Amino acid sequence: MKKKIIVNPKKVSKVIKKSAVKKITRINLEDKIRRQTNAIRIRDGQLKQGEDREKLGADRERLGADREKVAEEQIHIQTKAMDSASDGIFIIGAKKFNFPIIYANTSFQILTGYTKNEVMGQDYFLIYGVDADLRVVEEIKVTLRQGRPFHGEMLNFRKNGKKFWSSLRITPVRDARGIVTHFVGIQTDTTLMKQRNLEIEEQREELLHVTRVGKLAEFVSSLAHEISQPLTAILAYAQAAQRILAGREPQLQEILQYIINDDQRAAEVIRRLRYLLKKNKPTFESIDINVLINDTVTLIMPHITAKNITINFKLDNKIPLIHGDRIQLQQVLLNLISNSIEAMESMDGQRELMISTLSKSADMVLVEVKDSGYGIPAENMKKLFSHFFTSKTDGLGMGLSISRSIIEAHGGRLDAKNNADHGATFYFTIPINMKNANEQ
Amino acid sequence: MPEKIYIVDDDESVCRALKTLLMTYGFDVKTFTSENDFFSNVSHNDPGCLLLDIHMPGLDGWEVHKKLLGSGSNRPVIFISAEKKDSAADRALRVGAVGFLQKPVNGQTLVDLINFAVKKPGENK
Repeated sequence: MKKKIIVNPKKVSKVIKKSAVKKITRINLEDKIRRQTNAIRIRDGQLKQGEDREKLGADRERLGADREKVAEEQIHIQTKAMDSASDGIFIIGAKKFNFPIIYANTSFQILTGYTKNEVMGQDYFLIYGVDADLRVVEEIKVTLRQGRPFHGEMLNFRKNGKKFWSSLRITPVRDARGIVTHFVGIQTDTTLMKQRNLEIEEQREELLHVTRVGKLAEFVSSLAHEISQPLTAILAYAQAAQRILAGREPQLQEILQYIINDDQRAAEVIRRLRYLLKKNKPTFESIDINVLINDTVTLIMPHITAKNITINFKLDNKIPLIHGDRIQLQQVLLNLISNSIEAMESMDGQRELMISTLSKSADMVLVEVKDSGYGIPAENMKKLFSHFFTSKTDGLGMGLSISRSIIEAHGGRLDAKNNADHGATFYFTIPINMKNANEQ
Repeated sequence: MPEKIYIVDDDESVCRALKTLLMTYGFDVKTFTSENDFFSNVSHNDPGCLLLDIHMPGLDGWEVHKKLLGSGSNRPVIFISAEKKDSAADRALRVGAVGFLQKPVNGQTLVDLINFAVKKPGENK
């Protein structure tokens, strides 16, 4: 038996009803327009004397109204779409000299931090604020004044001063005569993407850095250590099983032998890795740090005299030999000295470099490289030894962080401080050679 | 009477595996994952060779060996290590150990060394 479904028309959703009705109305309207247009065309053609022209006129008017309605709806949808877009969309007038904003969608408002009321009618270029890169703003202005499209990526500032990166495309809108009357702009927030790219770049640099300074050695060493344990166990078990099956089960014996062979192969890989890393490890020897400093300064002397720098030494000749890698320590000294030279680059006054050595404690020697430059700004102090920090315009910023790693690998510490008068001092400690100390 | 072997290694799986292997050679093996456990359970009069891991948290193998010597024990010691430092083998012999083996240790090599160690008890320099 077919079940009868009784529907209470009153309970049917009003919404469903409404939209259904609307749809029908719309279809009917377009249909209606089509029919009416045809009807009027036919009637126009067939208009005979005595025909009611007024009626024709009225029909035409109604047709016009219907057409208008459809067009209105179209515009309404387009406007809604523009306002819903995730990217910032804005329209600026091009006739006046100052490019007033005549439309800005919600995303644009959110992106820039300005409300519709704040931007409408305003000069578009005011949005950029005082912190914006004036060169880019000027470039945009020039481009727009020439009626050309602009495409670029730039750093922007919200109303509250917060930074964000955006990709900007501004395109001219022309009238029927081809004259530019407006510009339409699309602004996409690329801050996240830029952030991610920066992070990837940093990670890549970190990897490079790690490879350079032997931190890789530490990492591989601990990895090798960890892996040796299960390799030990596997080998022991396989060999134990072989002994238990002695004289029996030739197939299992063979399998066990394969396990043993592969285990030993893995062990060999680790051994080779360790050997490779040994080459980058510092090779320690007894070093007279004063002699090393003199040798290093001699190397860089032409550079020092060329820059009109006075160099003074306060080297304690009673300090013991230190325990270190000659080449790596020279690298550190060169790094600190050349940094100091650069720090005094733009100085007009006295350019003085002072290198001193002294006994810091029973088992440590202290080396100081002091300059008479401008010193280190407070905000740079914290990041001074980090991987990518540099105040040089074309520098890699790796020198200090590598130097610090080298000194730490030696068992010392590298640090910096601003001098009481002017300039900065970079200082590091190095352990003395214990064997020699005992003999002295 | 089976020879006694003691193993001190912080890695439990290494302890178990080496014990399994050495038992197939007829040794009586006791394992400890910390030097504390070893010293609490084994008196210096109990004979037996000691397999000592070098890299352990807390006291490392060298320090445990020092502690052992300090207590007057002349128990033969074989160092086993996951890392290879060139100086380690020399150092092992200098401090009076019977030998130094790098992980993963070959069973036969280990047993040969143990047999050598127990045949000459108390011969620590």
